[in-house]
Amino acid sequence: MRKAWYAIVFMIIISPLFGIILANMVGYHEPLDVAAEMLHLKDISDKINWTPFYNYTVPGLPDTIGYIISGVIGVTVVYVLGKLVFGGAKE
Amino acid sequence: MHNIGESVHIPDGYLSLPWIIGTYIVTIIYLAIAWKKARAQLTPEKAAAATTLAAAIFAAMMLNWPIPGGTSLHMVGGALAAILFGPWIASWILALVVGTQCFVFHDGGITALGANILNMGIIDVWVGYLVYKAVRKVVPGEKGIVLGAFLGGWLGIAIAGATAGIEIGLSPAFPYGIEITLPVMFTWHLLLGIIEGIITASVVYYLVKKGKWVVA
Repeated sequence: MRKAWYAIVFMIIISPLFGIILANMVGYHEPLDVAAEMLHLKDISDKINWTPFYNYTVPGLPDTIGYIISGVIGVTVVYVLGKLVFGGAKE
Repeated sequence: MHNIGESVHIPDGYLSLPWIIGTYIVTIIYLAIAWKKARAQLTPEKAAAATTLAAAIFAAMMLNWPIPGGTSLHMVGGALAAILFGPWIASWILALVVGTQCFVFHDGGITALGANILNMGIIDVWVGYLVYKAVRKVVPGEKGIVLGAFLGGWLGIAIAGATAGIEIGLSPAFPYGIEITLPVMFTWHLLLGIIEGIITASVVYYLVKKGKWVVA
């Protein structure tokens, strides 16, 4: 189990390399976006947004650092939820 | 700003009302049933391991591998979770991850949350699991485990992508869009799913080889 957590920390640390840096370098389109564009569907996520961490950013921080912090926040939230949900199932 | 993690995550604005409501209802009913089944299977060790896998899948999904000129891919992990924990617990693992992505990071729309859990937490999980089980019946031993995990991971993503294509294709007011969305989503995810298959097989093989996990 400890090794799994090392892997999680490692993935979070290197994540901006993939999620931000390489993504900006190649400029890509998701299959979903391509299909939606053909149908003239609009992604309205930014218009009805509710979270300060929109799209794995942290307000006031550069994208790469924000991405790492988002990773830490996300893993923590998932961990706490997992403890509550699965832990609560044991009884 | 680029959108990360939308390979299978449907954002807000793509689904029409009947699909939003329909996918929410199916997902909520399914998760209620899955919860009952999962509860009976969870031991303290399994609960801790399931929590760890959920955290690992969240982190793995942040590793977005862009493919020059085309698209990007990231792990979904539904088949992996299903092979390690069975489909009922796996669905809840994915529901926690996809729910967190939606509520905390707005990755995947709130209107599409039902559909996104359906695609990644139900379709990917069950297709991956059933393919894995079918292969293991035909191919014995370690070879069957690895081949089953590979094909389960691969086809799980392909079918989950196709399902997302159907949902958005049938969503607009004039539902002829499916002729576009289904082939686009299915073909791409058939391609992208190969990597998911390789990762799924590698992780399962590693855990089995190390004697750390007894797979279903």
